[in-house]
Amino acid sequence: MELIERYLQAVGFWLPKAQRQDILDELSEDIRSQAEDKESELGRKLTDADVEGILKQRGSPIMVANRYLPQRHLIGPVLFPIYRLVLKMAFLFYAIPWLAVWLCISSYIPSYHAQTPGDFIVGALHGLWMVVLYTFASVTFGFAVLEKYALKSGFLEKWNPRNLPALRAANRIKRSNSITEIVALVVTCIWWVSFMLSPVMVNRPDVRIVLAPAWRYYSWWIVALIAVTIATSFLNLLRPYWTCFRAGMRLATDSIGWGMFAWLCKTNIVAEIAVRNVSPEKTLQITNAINFWMERSFPIIVVIGVIIVAIDVYRIFRVKEGVSFPLFGLASICRISITL
Amino acid sequence: MKNSTKPEESGALYENLRLELRRGCLIVAVLAQLKTERYGYTLRKALADDGLEIDESTLYPLLRRLETQGLLVSEWREEDKRNKRFYKLSPEGKRILKQLLEEWRSINASLEQILHEE
Repeated sequence: MELIERYLQAVGFWLPKAQRQDILDELSEDIRSQAEDKESELGRKLTDADVEGILKQRGSPIMVANRYLPQRHLIGPVLFPIYRLVLKMAFLFYAIPWLAVWLCISSYIPSYHAQTPGDFIVGALHGLWMVVLYTFASVTFGFAVLEKYALKSGFLEKWNPRNLPALRAANRIKRSNSITEIVALVVTCIWWVSFMLSPVMVNRPDVRIVLAPAWRYYSWWIVALIAVTIATSFLNLLRPYWTCFRAGMRLATDSIGWGMFAWLCKTNIVAEIAVRNVSPEKTLQITNAINFWMERSFPIIVVIGVIIVAIDVYRIFRVKEGVSFPLFGLASICRISITL
Repeated sequence: MKNSTKPEESGALYENLRLELRRGCLIVAVLAQLKTERYGYTLRKALADDGLEIDESTLYPLLRRLETQGLLVSEWREEDKRNKRFYKLSPEGKRILKQLLEEWRSINASLEQILHEE
């Protein structure tokens, strides 16, 4: 019967001290009653194998003890869907941008350059691991506190059906988005035509800034693209649903616009800077620095352009499927901010 | 509508639903058996003899929960030279059992009605 004592001891390890002895006394009595019944049935003393069979049938000590313990959870079923959503958003809007910024810093700032590709990968993985760990830990901690204290206040029961979000229509374009786009693009177009068409950007007695001749082609292309985008936005305002044609137009303008922007980064766009009372060596240094950083920005521009074009392609796909996609607003925001 | 449930998934699903169905019934059965005072092992045997098998790791935590809720009272007593814990219904337990049996009969009648309509 030593096996039974060992079993009880193992069960007792997982039980709360206050109830341990009481539960073990009852469990012990039950096992012994079962053993006695088995002995009567077999007509002999139980062997170790028989006792082992009885204990195995009852389950492992931790499982048996677990049945006596109250159900515990860090984040319960009510908050879990919100927790999962916040965790996803935290990774999307914090961990991924962090990685992008880290890649930029380690590529562009000499003091952050890794000695070898191995060091670079180890550094990236270590940094990413820490960010993922901190993000996960802080979100989980926040929700655990919410679960323990705030849930009892019944804040989830205080809601109003009138505050529910409006129905999401498939591929609908918000009129407010189209109006914002038109206003921003018209202002940009006027400013561009007034000040940006000539390669001579500034021509004052004290300052003169001249861009490379390539700017002339670029600036007219920008005017054309802005005009096409304004036309598309007007159509979107009048008929606020994406169609394959308009989604295709947007894909074309975005592809050309971002392609040209990337090309501009590679053209040593600033040709001359002259400032009164500043030495030509100094202004040449500034010119070279601007052109250098424009060129170093090339990969970032390509990445942003590829993301926007991918969203545009996806939009066409979704228009064909007839389902809306909440990230479409992102392309508009990026396009307007880069145009401005 | 897709119907791609594999046989093993279907078996697990049935088992979950069966356990869910049994859970409430077991409480009523345990309360009903404890109109007469019993200790855990004999209670389990009595339930098994009436066709309701229940394993000890389910029964004892359930007895403790029902006692904490005030539906049962228990007492340690010596019998056959061994200390045993005897349980029986408390007055509150008797009242609740009566209500539960009424509810159970009502559900049963509704279910019978639904099944007859089919």
